[in-house]
Amino acid sequence: MAEARYYDIRCVQGEITLIDIDNGVIESAGTSYFDRAVVRVLGSKGWGILTRDHVEIDSKREIDALVEAAARLSAVTGDQIDLADAPRALLPVPPLGEDPRDVDLEEKTRLLAGIESAARVPKVANTRARYTEGIDSVRFLDSSGNEFSYEAVRSGFSVIAIASRNGMMQMGSERDHITTGFNLRDKQDLGRKAGEVAVSLLDAKLAKGGTKRAVLDQELAGVFTHEAVGHASEGDLVREGASVLAGRIGERIGCEGLVIVDDPSLHEFGFIPVDAEGVAVRRTEVIRDGILTSYLHNRETLAAVGNGVPGHARAEHGAPPIVRMSNTFIENGDATYDEIIAECKDGILLIGSRGGQVDPGRGVFQFNAEYGYLIEGGETTDMVRDVSLSGEILTTLHDITLLGNDRKMSPGYCGKGGQTVPVSDGAPHILLENATVGGRGI
Amino acid sequence: MNGDDLIEKVLREGERQADEVEVFYARGQSVSAGIKKGILGTAEESETWSMTIRTVRDGRIGFSSTSDPDRWKECLNAALASGRIATPQEWGGLPKPAGMTGTASSADPDLVVGIENAAGMVEDLLSGAAEHPVEVIGGGADLGRSHLEIANTNGVLYSTERTVAAVSLEAIREQSTGYEFDASPFLADISARAVGEAAASLAARSLGGREVETGHYDIVLSPIAAASILGYVLIPALSGRNVKAGRSSLADKIGEQVFDERLSVYDDPFAPGLGSTTWDADGVPTRRLVFVQQGVLERFAYDLKTGYRYGEESTGSAVRSGSGEPGIGVHNLFIDGPRISDPGDERAVWIHDVVGAHTANPFSGDFSVEISNPFWMEGGELVEPIRTAMFAGNVFEMLRDIGGLGKDDRRVGRLTLPSIRLNNQQIIGK
Repeated sequence: MAEARYYDIRCVQGEITLIDIDNGVIESAGTSYFDRAVVRVLGSKGWGILTRDHVEIDSKREIDALVEAAARLSAVTGDQIDLADAPRALLPVPPLGEDPRDVDLEEKTRLLAGIESAARVPKVANTRARYTEGIDSVRFLDSSGNEFSYEAVRSGFSVIAIASRNGMMQMGSERDHITTGFNLRDKQDLGRKAGEVAVSLLDAKLAKGGTKRAVLDQELAGVFTHEAVGHASEGDLVREGASVLAGRIGERIGCEGLVIVDDPSLHEFGFIPVDAEGVAVRRTEVIRDGILTSYLHNRETLAAVGNGVPGHARAEHGAPPIVRMSNTFIENGDATYDEIIAECKDGILLIGSRGGQVDPGRGVFQFNAEYGYLIEGGETTDMVRDVSLSGEILTTLHDITLLGNDRKMSPGYCGKGGQTVPVSDGAPHILLENATVGGRGI
Repeated sequence: MNGDDLIEKVLREGERQADEVEVFYARGQSVSAGIKKGILGTAEESETWSMTIRTVRDGRIGFSSTSDPDRWKECLNAALASGRIATPQEWGGLPKPAGMTGTASSADPDLVVGIENAAGMVEDLLSGAAEHPVEVIGGGADLGRSHLEIANTNGVLYSTERTVAAVSLEAIREQSTGYEFDASPFLADISARAVGEAAASLAARSLGGREVETGHYDIVLSPIAAASILGYVLIPALSGRNVKAGRSSLADKIGEQVFDERLSVYDDPFAPGLGSTTWDADGVPTRRLVFVQQGVLERFAYDLKTGYRYGEESTGSAVRSGSGEPGIGVHNLFIDGPRISDPGDERAVWIHDVVGAHTANPFSGDFSVEISNPFWMEGGELVEPIRTAMFAGNVFEMLRDIGGLGKDDRRVGRLTLPSIRLNNQQIIGK
């Protein structure tokens, strides 16, 4: 029999409920089912990994056969992998305010339709809302005798409005996802907001590109944290030489007072009660007072790289665990919003996020705001649209000159290595010097 | 229970409660050899099985899917339940068996899904990368084969095989990175060694780039950069559903000169490629579709559902991703037209790829992205790396007046396209 130094099995059985309402038409509303298992075996060298639908985790015979097959796979690998010891614990999952399973599909559809129709303010040409609910039953066991099971419930929606005038089209969008229960009640105001933003963007100017001072709102500063620091602190990228933060533990990479945290134990959208390798999760301070202090690790990258905290392995169902962020944020400073705008004097206020991306090896990132306002003489003036920001990981954190006192978390999804997992990002309002703003205004 | 018996069972059982039933069934096997820090670090093998069911009753369409054959009844009931909530629409029936109008080329009989074969491709990737002084940080090789089947209560029963061979490599030298990839149904199309060499060359040659000043420049988008930007904006704008819902900038422009006369855009499901197929995800025969002919907008893409709703004919453009519901998409999209020599002789900023294409505004076409591996290009040669910059523009405006198309067509996913030269575009330096 091929050698197996270690194995683990993670089965996720679940249901996904999706509702899609497009311009008042219920396009689809229904539930689908999945049941997937990933078996990982550490042979004499690297990983052999098998993915299957529907594995009987309680059948020793089935498990033995899968472990044997995965061990044979691992024989082609050449990597020398070791696993660090790590603490084990399962946190309680947050209690559900209202269990989405207690609400029938008709009511969910009606509530979503209310949010969608609220977005249909005058001049809005198209509205669309989607509800996403996931109920995952996770079971984990490994060859060291660890065994965990838990249930994860996620519920939320997104709504988008498109305003149109003389062939010009602008969009506004809002979303809200939680892990603490059913999340469609009393949310029409978010629909209305999406509609209103879309309409006001019809009159917004194109931002002018160049280097300037920028104020980032909580959501966008959260995405900034995720792209500018989060990915580059992931232990697998550090180990592979794919991060500019490799070898920089103890170095000052940001302004004094800057604290950046990834905390999978928070009851935000990126919450996990235990990581995907059965390791206990806890708050990890990536940056403390401007100094790089910890990487995010799984057992393998902790053994290979050191300087950090394990418990950051996550996996989409049916995919092997990799190092991921969960709830990532900048801690509050003490500036008020008004102080930040006044201190900026002349620059740009950027609000909301259309997403971002990073090349952690090159140390360059890009992200996009939903809209913004010019700041002139310490006051916000004209609305602007289609503004991106780019920056370099190693210099950009030194350019934060004020940290607000109003941190807020925003839910979202993050893609890496072909896997998508729920996360949240957050920050207070921040003031950034020397920001490269990409816009095509003159 | 094997696939065909199960399909038959679902159709017969579903028929008792709905006017029409459709089953789409997929099973596949794939292997993947992953590179970790220049070494083959992970060996994966995956088997997948999925079944999706659609039911139609009085114009109400229900949908569900499962990855567990034993739960087929639950899945059917969920589809019926979902159909009771969907808004009823005009419906002319699921397709009946029809003659195909072409042949597809989506499977390679010689492709063997074996981990040793993938490991051999990783060796080739690494030996290609070794031609330049770089570190390999990631990448790998994937081989897969799948069997797809669609059946409905009108007698449609089609099946097809698909194969895929894919390689990628990411290299770094100091703070300069390079990424290259390729994927095709046919093993012989893929040169792992060339992909490894190209990624390493990008990382090595991009080192020591100089700043560029903010201003307007002529640029050349490589096929990869062009595919990233067009994929998020142009393809959604051609979807009939977006057109009818007021989400496409191209709506109401059929017959108009919307792009440069040197640009044509067409979908050829019979060309060899990752999306090659003779029937679409609704079971409708596919055909060659010309969306844009010499800059003139000719048509949009429709699936069955959108077609019936708006009185348009399905163009055989239904596609599925994973076990999701069918939606409108493209099979093998080509951007084509007369070519200029080596995307123009005059000095231009050449852009290999972009960071953040998904943040483009898909409706207005506005985007501002960070650019990857930019070089000054002179006489068709990359002469000097540029450190970093942003590129801002509007997809619809820039396609109205292009500088020309290069002779370097390549596959990028379901797109095949050359590099595109664009004059007088905005670059934002640091």
